[in-house]
Amino acid sequence: MEDDVNEPAGGRAHDPETVPGAVSLQEGQVMLDGPDGVAVAMTPEAALETGRRLIAAAERANTQRPG
Amino acid sequence: MRDDPAPPPAPAADLGRFPKTGRFLLGRGRERMTDEERDVLEKAACAVKDYPARHHLVRRGEPVDTSMMLIDGYVSRYMDDREGYRQLVSVHIPGDFVDLHGFPTGRLDHDIGTLGPIRMALFDHQTLVGITERHPRLTRFLWFATLADAAMHREWIFRLGRLGADGRLAHFFCELNARLELVGLARDGRFELPLTQPDLAEACGLTGVHVNRTLRRLREKGLLLFRNGQVEILDQRGLCVAAEFDSDYLYSDFGAWKTT
Repeated sequence: MEDDVNEPAGGRAHDPETVPGAVSLQEGQVMLDGPDGVAVAMTPEAALETGRRLIAAAERANTQRPG
Repeated sequence: MRDDPAPPPAPAADLGRFPKTGRFLLGRGRERMTDEERDVLEKAACAVKDYPARHHLVRRGEPVDTSMMLIDGYVSRYMDDREGYRQLVSVHIPGDFVDLHGFPTGRLDHDIGTLGPIRMALFDHQTLVGITERHPRLTRFLWFATLADAAMHREWIFRLGRLGADGRLAHFFCELNARLELVGLARDGRFELPLTQPDLAEACGLTGVHVNRTLRRLREKGLLLFRNGQVEILDQRGLCVAAEFDSDYLYSDFGAWKTT
């Protein structure tokens, strides 16, 4: 029975986020809010390095897309 | 949509007759307790103690032979990581049987400390043994209290796992407002909360600066004011929506807010 299927709504729990997180800054901290339940504050140095790593991984991930 | 209007007012606590336990399960089953059961619980308290703010009450792993019911003030349960950073795992309000779970377990897996100054009623575990043997119905109310704590823990996991900074703080304030309304300590979205922004950070897994910015954002959205230990919820429905808050897990006698 369809009612007995135990899956999250629309399978969202296992899908990557398509909406980028919001970035703000205050008192020398960089804050990333979202996507999903992300809420993290970083030093500028950590934010810079995280940004570099994200960009590098995103460029590689773009080449792995099917089709 | 988790979207709730305000609940109806809870009955007043009978603190004249039950000064130590008058808020226990108020709005969450107290009306169904018999007079005898209320008397038994009130007389079971072996002592009343006052503690100052930021006082350690119980340390993780210590044997415990009493349990504490909060009469006045706020207490937190918390766990520290290896670097000393703290995660609050619950905040307790008057009427809460803070460490009743220490009665069957004999020790706690977390620390307990005061936030502001508090007054606490102590219950010797041997006396609780007598209650469980002679008052099975009252025992079920005590059991319910620990299950209600467990439900709140589940909701806190949801808060930290699924919500962003706005949602986490909004949810924290929605829950406290709902619980305090049940015990008669919040009205029209206003209540006292002697917590600092670092306390909120430890409850919501954020830095203090992040909390500061998020509180500003909630204020600018017209949802919430928190300053000088005073909370004012400006838009209860809007705050509930931001928090994805549904009060059903509090098991109020009045039902979940959304159904009233």
